[in-house]
Amino acid sequence: MWVMGVLAAVSTAAVFAWPVPPRDGVQMWTFARLHKVRYEAAIAEWPPAQRASITLLSMPALERRMLSAFLTQTPSADLIEAERRVAARAFVGPLESVGFADLTDRLRAEGLDEDINGPSFGPWTSRGRIFGLPHDVHPVMLGYRADIVEAAGIDVGRIETWDDFIRVMSPLMLGKDASGKPVRFLLNLWEDKDDLLEVLLLQAGGGFFDGSERVSIATDINARVLSTVIAWCRGPQRIASDAPDFTASGNQLKVEGYVLAALMPDWMCNIWRIEIPQLAGKVKVMPLPAWEKGGRRTSVWGGTMLGIAKASPDQDGLWEIAKRLYTSRELAREIYREGDIITPVRSLWSDPVFDEADPYFSGQRKGRMFINLAPSVPSRTSSPFNTLAKQRVRDAALSLSAYAQSRGAFDVEQLKPEAMRLLEIAERQVRTQVERNVFLTDPGEQPAVHP
Amino acid sequence: MSALSGKLRSAPWMLLAPFLAVSAMFVAFPLVQSVSLSMRQSFGPAHTRFVGLTNYRDLLSDPLFWTAVRNTLLFTAGGVFIQLPLSLLLALLLNRPGLRARTAFRIIFFAPALVGVVFVAMIFGVIFEKRTGLVNQFLHATIGWDLDFPWLQTFVMPALILSALWQYVGFNMVYFLSALQNVRADLLEAVRLDGAGRWKAFRYVVFPEIRPVAGFVVLLSIIGSFQLFELPYVLLNSTAGPDNRGLTLVMYLYQMGFDAGDLGYASAVGWVLGLILVAFTVLQRRMSRGEVSS
Repeated sequence: MWVMGVLAAVSTAAVFAWPVPPRDGVQMWTFARLHKVRYEAAIAEWPPAQRASITLLSMPALERRMLSAFLTQTPSADLIEAERRVAARAFVGPLESVGFADLTDRLRAEGLDEDINGPSFGPWTSRGRIFGLPHDVHPVMLGYRADIVEAAGIDVGRIETWDDFIRVMSPLMLGKDASGKPVRFLLNLWEDKDDLLEVLLLQAGGGFFDGSERVSIATDINARVLSTVIAWCRGPQRIASDAPDFTASGNQLKVEGYVLAALMPDWMCNIWRIEIPQLAGKVKVMPLPAWEKGGRRTSVWGGTMLGIAKASPDQDGLWEIAKRLYTSRELAREIYREGDIITPVRSLWSDPVFDEADPYFSGQRKGRMFINLAPSVPSRTSSPFNTLAKQRVRDAALSLSAYAQSRGAFDVEQLKPEAMRLLEIAERQVRTQVERNVFLTDPGEQPAVHP
Repeated sequence: MSALSGKLRSAPWMLLAPFLAVSAMFVAFPLVQSVSLSMRQSFGPAHTRFVGLTNYRDLLSDPLFWTAVRNTLLFTAGGVFIQLPLSLLLALLLNRPGLRARTAFRIIFFAPALVGVVFVAMIFGVIFEKRTGLVNQFLHATIGWDLDFPWLQTFVMPALILSALWQYVGFNMVYFLSALQNVRADLLEAVRLDGAGRWKAFRYVVFPEIRPVAGFVVLLSIIGSFQLFELPYVLLNSTAGPDNRGLTLVMYLYQMGFDAGDLGYASAVGWVLGLILVAFTVLQRRMSRGEVSS
């Protein structure tokens, strides 16, 4: 018994006495392998005082570590590169407890708020304060099978709206299988793909939150887009089918030409390049067809920022590193060449790299095409409830699909009242959650602090 | 003498002390904290606001919570009324005297239990996929079935029950098999001499003998079903499926705690889930006691 007691005492003392290894300079977490490789190569050339050690983490691991550190005020990396959904998790509580440093004043003082594409700040701005340096813009274009479309003599230059798209491209859907179903569809889209629904809603001027971060789901625009998507996926004039991204089977369907076009942000160009090399030289991009004549020809999908942990010492030094990483011309070139991602820093848009012809995209200068659309990308929310809203709107889309099929009603105007009713339910559900958050709904009142 | 007996009396406590200390720190304290948390809005331990029983009150009027309860009960019913009878049937088949390759069958049926839930979910995700999935491809080739039929959109709960059945039917079979092998041979022989057929022998001899094990397996199955999370989470691509038809109680807890960031509300869901499981355990214990005394 005494032996056990002594062992317990000694091991406890040893644990407490064990020296914590000192951290080796600035620490940074990222979830993107390309970023780590490129940043490390760049940092190796910098003076030692500005060196940072970069750790690659999977997205869930980064999310857990970041939240644990922020919630419990324990050490995290000094610089954290976070994707939109993950960063939003830091904005759940009161403003003063956001774990990222407020960069608003620094950005303004150095004119970066003007030099960086405006809409790119949206996902990192909570209650008027900016907590991250934007990494990207992620405009969305329409990627299409140029080999098939051009062989049919179709000129995509005649397409301005989604109605044009359907009219001009529909001859490509004439082939039927033995059961009378088209062997090919115009668009890779399905009613349960919440990311794609959000892209289309944002393009149309809809979305889930208004400019003041209030829940705004049951709107006429959203109802129209949702009804249109159901008509596209389920109606007698169906034009859409599902070839899921990031899956071997979905990629195979794309290779076979089962779907002719897909919503394609800049980063998705890289996914196709890597995962579907068979399509090299057979694909092109074009601006998204607008919802109405003169409407927006792009949308936005995804996003990453670099934040500085508020608890880290030497905020000035960290700001210099962050700025250097995200505003470097060399790195912007590398990230575009290897990741197809365009920088949000407008003064770098004139770089010739964005005018290089891309053999995968049939020699198009797609960098310039994405940049031309960058100022038009829609603004987005930083609400931590965006994920929840997306799920509820997807549920509304699925219910609307069931409604349409049970009644054989696929006309957009016919579906809109039911779409609005379902969106009202979704809005109520999200609003209930948002209103339960006393930190966001009642920011003026100070929470009780329990040290 | 009295000093020695005092030492002997304190010895068990000294030996238990490390376990008690660890349990107090990592089980009892978090448990008490979670009660407190369920009555608060929180953003980490530093920022909390007391909201009383609001979380519980909201929960009871929350339609999504009741959807999660209904789905969880449906899955549990599938486990208890489909999976367990199948497990028992397999065990009875494997317990037949003279069966060849019994060990091989046992390994084959048990093997899926060795595979992780995430892996099972991914396998069934591929099987049920539209267009390229095994089920649609097979049905299309045999009866001209629609290749685009969305199984995971149309039959969410059956898909979950089937996936769980594939994984756990052999696992539960092992419990039943070990119970069947302990049924007294003299009783079986006596009932057969009395002219009872297979069904009567099963009903009046075998089932009463394996009943305690069956009760235990039922309880395990209920608890496991109420903790369902990974299977729908992976199978339905981190969502609750169409119209929340794959939303289970633990998924709802996760959504509230980690997607919506409402840890207080999630704690309230956790406590309601805990109370439901305690109720089932008490019920099972009472039924077991009743069986023993009868």
